[in-house]
Parts: sequence; C-alpha cells; structure tokens
Amino acid sequence: MAFDGDDEILQDFLVEAGEILEDLGNQLVDLENAGNDSELLNAVFRGFHTIKGGASFLNLDSLVALCHRAEDVFNALRNGEREVDAQLMDVMLPVLDSLNDMFDNLRDGEEPDAADPEQLKQLDDLLGNESTAAAEAPVEAVVVDESPSEPEPSADELEDEFEAILAASAANEAQTPAEPEASDSDEISDEEFEAMLDQMHGKGNVPSNTADDASSGTEESATPLASGADELISDDEFDAMLNDLHGAGGMPGANQNAEEKQVEKQAEPETKQPEPAGQKSEPVAEKQEPAAEKPAPAKKKAPREAPPAAETTVRVDTKRLDDIMNLVGELVLVRNRLTTLQAKVDDENVSHAVTNLDVITADLQNSVMKTRMQPIKKVFGRFPRVIRDLARALSKDIKLEMEGEDTDLDKNLVEALADPLVHLVRNAVDHGIEMPDDREKVGKPRTGTVLLRASQEGDHIELSISDDGKGMDPDVLRGIAVTKGLMDEDSAARLSDHECYNLIFAAGFSTKVEISDISGRGVGMDVVKTRIIQLNGSVDIDSKLGEGSVLTIKVPLTLAIMPTLMIVLGEQTFALPLVNVCEIFDLDLSQMNVVDGQKVIVVRDKPVPLYFLREWLAQNPAPRADTDSSHVVIVAIGSQRVGFVVDELLGQEEVVIKPLGEMLLGTPGMSGATITGDGKIALIIDVPGLLKAYARRM
Amino acid sequence: MVARVLIVDDSSFFRRRVNEILEADARIEVIGMAKNGQEAIEQAEKLKPDVITMDIEMPVMDGITAVRKIMQKSPIPILMFSSLTTDGAKATLDALDAGAVDFLPKKFDDISSDRDEAKRLLCARVRLIAARGLATKPVVTPSVRPAVSKKTSTTIPKRKNHQLIAIGTSTGGPVALQEVLTKLPKNFPLPIILIQHMPASFTPAFAQRLDGLCQIEVREAVDGDQLKPGLALLAPGGKQMKLAKRGGITYIKISEPLLSENYKPSVDITFESVATNYPGTALGIVLTGMGADGREGARKMKQGGSELWSQDEASCVVFGMPAALEEAGLSDHVLALSTIGENLARSV
Repeated sequence: MAFDGDDEILQDFLVEAGEILEDLGNQLVDLENAGNDSELLNAVFRGFHTIKGGASFLNLDSLVALCHRAEDVFNALRNGEREVDAQLMDVMLPVLDSLNDMFDNLRDGEEPDAADPEQLKQLDDLLGNESTAAAEAPVEAVVVDESPSEPEPSADELEDEFEAILAASAANEAQTPAEPEASDSDEISDEEFEAMLDQMHGKGNVPSNTADDASSGTEESATPLASGADELISDDEFDAMLNDLHGAGGMPGANQNAEEKQVEKQAEPETKQPEPAGQKSEPVAEKQEPAAEKPAPAKKKAPREAPPAAETTVRVDTKRLDDIMNLVGELVLVRNRLTTLQAKVDDENVSHAVTNLDVITADLQNSVMKTRMQPIKKVFGRFPRVIRDLARALSKDIKLEMEGEDTDLDKNLVEALADPLVHLVRNAVDHGIEMPDDREKVGKPRTGTVLLRASQEGDHIELSISDDGKGMDPDVLRGIAVTKGLMDEDSAARLSDHECYNLIFAAGFSTKVEISDISGRGVGMDVVKTRIIQLNGSVDIDSKLGEGSVLTIKVPLTLAIMPTLMIVLGEQTFALPLVNVCEIFDLDLSQMNVVDGQKVIVVRDKPVPLYFLREWLAQNPAPRADTDSSHVVIVAIGSQRVGFVVDELLGQEEVVIKPLGEMLLGTPGMSGATITGDGKIALIIDVPGLLKAYARRM
Repeated sequence: MVARVLIVDDSSFFRRRVNEILEADARIEVIGMAKNGQEAIEQAEKLKPDVITMDIEMPVMDGITAVRKIMQKSPIPILMFSSLTTDGAKATLDALDAGAVDFLPKKFDDISSDRDEAKRLLCARVRLIAARGLATKPVVTPSVRPAVSKKTSTTIPKRKNHQLIAIGTSTGGPVALQEVLTKLPKNFPLPIILIQHMPASFTPAFAQRLDGLCQIEVREAVDGDQLKPGLALLAPGGKQMKLAKRGGITYIKISEPLLSENYKPSVDITFESVATNYPGTALGIVLTGMGADGREGARKMKQGGSELWSQDEASCVVFGMPAALEEAGLSDHVLALSTIGENLARSV
C-alpha cells in the first residue's frame, strides 16, 4: 500500500489536507450561523472533495469513505436539495473530529482506523439512503468481478480464442519485455488501461505508417508483451500493446530492442530513442532537485507569472530549523564577543569589519527567525469551534471576533500558547459571559462577544482576550482571597482593584462555587500564568464590573534569543530579561524606608518593595560599604512592581539562552545561562521564580 | 516535440503529484500551474501551453467555466480530471460539451491498478493530445493522408433497406453523438444503438443528457430491452451489449465483459452481433475516437452487405477509429460530423 512507502507524498498530503481540515472546522461553525450561504457550502464541499482526492490517491480507504459521504451531503446542500440545520451539524462536527483523529493516526505513522459505521450511516441518513446508494453504485459496479460470465461462447468466439491462444504461445517463445501488467491486472482499470494503450499510438508518434502497417512492422517485438497471459489476445489488445511501444518510447522499463526496431523502421525524428534509459536518467535527476522548475521561455517575457508559490517552497524538518537557530545563536555570541574585543583593539579596519558582521548577523538572525514564524491563526483557528461547543453546552449566545490572525510568531510559541489560550477563552466564556436572559435584563444584547486580538508590539507579541460579560467585582475577589486563606483581611484591603483582578492567577483561587465541566477547577489560571511566564511572557487582567474583562498576554517574538539587561552582583554577571525591566535609576539609599519589615522606596508616589539582589545571589552578600547610592532596576511581573538593587549595570545585550547543566537545572530563580560579550558566563534571572524563592511575601 | 503542459488544480497536493508524474517524462514539460479557473485562463493566455490538465471543482472559477472561456478566447486542448461518480459524470460531460477534448479519472488507480503504469498512461495521453492538437487546428504531424479528403461525401444516396442504425465512438464521442442525434426528428423511423467507450458510472448520466437534448428518446440499455423506432439505446459502460432475436423480436442482451476484452462496451462486439442479426440491413457509423475498435465488427457487417459511414479526419477530435475503417476500405461514405445527422435523417 502506498501508505508505507510514499512518506514524502503522505507528508505533503497531511500538510495540505491538514490545513483544509482546520478551515473546515471554522467553515462548519460559520455555516451554522450563516445558514445556506452558497459560497461557504461550495467551499466546504471542495474541502471534503480535495481531501478525498488526496486520500484516494494514497489509498486511505477509511478517509475516502468518510469524505465521500460528507462530500455528497454538501453536494446536496449546495444544490439546494437539503437545508443546513442543527441535525446536520451534530453529524458533521463529529465527522470532522473523526477525520482529525485519522489524521493524527497518519501523522503518527499508523494506519487510520476504519471509518465508524455509525457515522457513515448517519451521513447516509442525512442524504436519504437512496441517493447515497446511487452515488455509490457506480463505484461498486466498476469493481464488480469480471469473471467471465459467458457460459456458451459461439463457434466464432471459440475460433477466435483458439487463434489467440496460438498467438500467445508463439509470443512466449519470443523475448519478454517487462510488461506484466497486460496479463495480471484483473481490476476494472483493465478496460481503460487497454484502451489507453491503444490510444497512445497517435499521429504524432507514427509519422508515416498507418496503425495497421505499424502493427505488422513491429509484430515481432510487440507480441511478447502479452506473453504469460493465460487469456486470449484480441487484435485490439495486440494493437494496443504495439501502440504502447510507439507511444511510450523512452520510458524506463520499455524494451530496448523494441525501441531500436522502431527507430530503424520509422526513422523517428526523436534522436533520443536509441538510448532511452541513458537519456532519460539525466533530466530526471535534475528534476529531483526541490525547486527545479524547467525555465520556460515564456517566463522571460513575463517574469512575474512564474508557477505559483506551491512549487517554490521546501518542507524542512523543524529540528533542522532549531539547529540553524542554535548556530545563529552561537554566531550572535561570537559577534558579541568580537564587539567587546574590538573596543580594545582600536583599529579602524577591525571596527569596520565588526560593524559589518554586526549588521549581517542581525539580518541573518532576523531571517532565520522568520523561517520559524507561523501566523497565530494556527491557534486562533480552533476557537470558533471551541466557542461554538461551549455556547451549546452552556446555552449561551456567543459571538467570536478575531483580529490580527496573521500576526506571526515563533512556531514553538504558537504551540506553547495553544493550551493556555484555550483555557483563558473557556474561562472568559464560562465566567465572563452571562446567560442571554441575564444579559437582556441589564440592557445588553443577548449575544455576548468574545474578542481575540493579536498584534506585534516591538519585540513582543501582545494577545488579548476581551469579553463583554459581567466583569469582576474586586470586593468579591478580596473576600474570596481571605476565605481561601490566601491572605489576611488587612492585606486584602490594601490591594488595588487591579491587583485584585490578578488574584485569579493565584494558586487555589476559583471564583466559581460549583465545579463545572468547562472551567472552575481553580488550578487552571495558576497553571496558565506559570506556562506563560515560562515563555518569558507576562499575563495581566483588567476588568470593569458589568462591562467585561480584558486579559492581556505578552510574549517575546522568539524563545531562543532574548534581549537582556546585564547586571553585576559582586564578581558575577547576571542577565535580567529586558521584558521585565521597567526603569532604571540611581537611588540615594537614605530615601529607603522600612515598612512592616520590608524595605520600600517611593517611586512617583507609589511604594515599591526593594530587594538587594546581592543578598540573594552574590557570594559575599554583605552590602558594599563604599557608596551610599545604588542602582535600582524596577521590574514588573504582571501588575506588580518591585525594585532590585544591583551593584553595577553593564548595559543591554541580546543573549542566546542555553539551558543550565544537569547540576544546576531547577535552581530557583535561574532560567538559563548565556555567554557574555567578554566571554564570561552569565546566569539568566527568572524574575518571578526568584521572587518566589527569596522574597518574604509576594 | 516536447509537450508543454499547464496544470490546473486547486489542491497543491494534486498539482505536485501531476507535476511529478508529467515531469518524469522527458517529452513533457510542465510550464505552469494554476489554482483555479481564473488563473487558468490567465496562464493559458500568457503561456500558450500545448495541453491543459483541468480539475473540475475549484474555487473562484470552476473548471467547466474555465474550459468554456479558454475555448472561446484561445482554444487549447484540455484534458479533464474527473471523479467517477454520478455527479462527476455530469460535470465531465458538461466540460466536454464546453470543449474539453478528453477526460481521465482523478483517482489514478482507476486508470490502471499498477501505479507506474497509470503514470505512464497519463503521460502518454497528454503527449498524444499535445501532438494532435485540436480538431480545428491544422495538424502538424505527417499523418495526414491527402487521399482522405477526396472521398469525403456530403450527400448520400438514399437506401431503402436499413432497419437499424448502430453508432460506435470513443474520444470526442460525447460531443459528436450529441451533434448527430440532435439532428434526428422525433419520428425517426429506425431503432438506434449507441456504443460509446465510457466508464460505467458515466453512461447513465450521458444517456440522460442526450435524452434531454434530443427529440428522439435516448436511454441506457438494460438487458431485455426491445429495439423500437425512434429509440436510441446506449450501451452501458463496463458491460458488453449484443443483440439477440427471439420470436421475431430483437432485444438487447447485456453481459459482463471477458477479461480479455479491452473495451467495455466494445464497438466490435456489438457490430458483430448486428452483422449476425441484421445481415445487410443495418447502417454502421464510426465516429471520432482513439484506437481501432469497430473495424473488425464493421468488416463483418460489410461482408453481410451492410452500409458503413465514418467521420472525416477534419472534424474528428481523434482520428483513430474512423481512420481504421477507412484504411481497411470498409467505409462507404466519409462524412464531416456536421453532415452526418442530416444525412441520417434524410437517407433512411
């Protein structure tokens, strides 16, 4: 079966059909809202049609069976023989799920399970059994056995048969070219196969001889084609094979004797005939190059009409991209090192060269990053279905809007964000959007809206999920925080409203009393936040009671390279992710206050807790005595701000994140290591982790 | 000659597969691809390919509309890829009607159970169509026999003794049969049998289509059908159709084909049966088509004294089967397609 061998082709199929499946999911949901939109119905029909086409090319019968029926259903729909209704959707969506499962099987290199007979039956029912039977019939009819059902051949036929057998045995004595197909194919295609063999002899290939002349001329070489056949050989078949030789000259596997004979007899203008195999192999080899398109003369005239993009793409294993990214990372490090060294050398030429290298490295890094970019659509694409299912399960009316689906971000990020986003959207629907009746009572439209938005803001991506639901009540949140024992009443009362909203990300915090299927387990938001922070991102929520909530996620464009602020504590250099850094200033230590045992400074009328990183991370934690002013870096985690006192600020540097070795893996507060411009090792600080591990209270 | 091909399919998967298959043949060059009918028209205009392979179901503009527009603007031979379903049959017939030369099943396993063989045959078909060009185009290949045109008749003397018309055809046949049969009046006095090389799933749709277009009645033959004046019976695909007489009534006998039989339905088999049952009293007509099916059956009809007509080269999509008849000296009249219907209506 083609399934095993044609891995390349299978992958090709999976890529295209996978995209179609994603689209189908959305289109089906749209269809439920749009009703009988003929454009949409056509699109869905074509989707199933195309998947079926590819699947049948690969002999994936279970896929074909399912798609074929789905296609028929949509054909009936687009022809107006049926209406879109809930029953249809309740059948089609699970069918889509089954197809997705089959695709998962295929991706794992397994043969997909046979199509669920129950589902097939449901589809048949949708069609009304009759029409399905009719649509199936021809296909089956074609495959129907072809065993001779002629019980009494006439005398004429017997004679023919006898002659044919004679011909066949004569053929056996001659040399046998590699054409077993003529004898062993016992399937439908026989007819067409033979017919086409026959048809191949065309005027173009037989310049001067008529078909008959050609037949007799090459009889010797052609007859053997039928050798091994235990069936009768008619004139037509004979002609057909002969013609095959005319037409198929130059084909690998064609009998060379026959080729040469033809050349002698007919003096074909095609010079390549005498050595079909040799001539052939060269162009074929060329063509195996990925993007090797033969330059068509017409292209010169109109360069922009080159064959479509499909042929200019190459599929690359992401592993390879990861490798390239790593190498670029190394290059960035060397570049950093050179930049540092160049300052010492003070040679104009060197400095020119280094500047050049700097520019090129930056460009290269950008280009490589782009190869790994995928549109956020990949993740957003699943939401229409999620929302649709949720709305049905919760009996709410919900409309999903999406903006900026084309925003690109790193492939790894796209994958890593998928689960957290789904959770957040579920949460917004479950907790945020009210029941239609309740909405009506407060003067809102019955249908709630969830808006998913993505945009690139400088070197990071901002994603937001907004709903126009009931919003959050900060006082209720405070109360819950106290009842759940997360903090005492005083601390709760001191929280700003904004801080209250972000309480939902605290572990063990769930506002829903009843645990539902959808959300409300109280671990979700905590996990989501942790996940996003692991991606060097941040998450924040804002809300207005009665008007809705906005959840904002910021993630860096890529995971591999990170802009940092290099700081020094004692003798050691550390890298502080720039995404966390809000501001830097010099602090007169005398302005520092101690409140409730916590060192605090006031920045623009706001108290900010202050930590001496030296105490946590330097080998000699004693404060430096030589100065009464210090550098303070204000960092933000979510809505919270804290100040870090550091010994020295080195400046901004893009670093390549290297994982910590096994010994250090899991060290609290450290997310990785990197090599600095001067060739030293710097640890990369994981700000939330650090605070969690060292700060008294967060 | 290298056949320059434009591939039209909305599925990049299929474009690539077809591209791979065609490019593996040194005598075929894929010069462009298009994702939909609209692009196909633009590309066809710019690239001037020798052959276009065309999918039917496509966004923006479907294949049938594209065929129609291309044939209007700058006619190029078009090979349709169709699925062997009832709807596929309808669409394919529409495409042929719009001017497509021929069609192949989209599922390559339906071309041949052997994948490599199917690929080879696909290439061969593309090359052949490229070499032949369109029927209306001057033929470049040296296969033109000047003698042919001399024999071409326009009006044919009337013969009284015809009792049955049998028409056999292959590539180009759907359009040709339509052209001939639509010219026949409702009260056409003779029964007609039609043999068109076609997959089993296509013949019901084809018969239905002809019935809708013609004044005479056309339907797919079933076993036991009786011949009637003004009724044309189309041989079902994948089977063989013969005639049999019982008690003075001629009826249709449909049988499963033998393994060795290349064509299902076969013109030869039906014509032979006509020769046996209507010795000297049938009119056999062979229309456009590749190959030589029909020649041996026609020979037997001729031996019994029946008259034979064949389509002339200029009006054939593929001048194969009629050529075989002519070369064997069997054809009594060589006619342009446009005159066959009239002659038929007049001469019987």
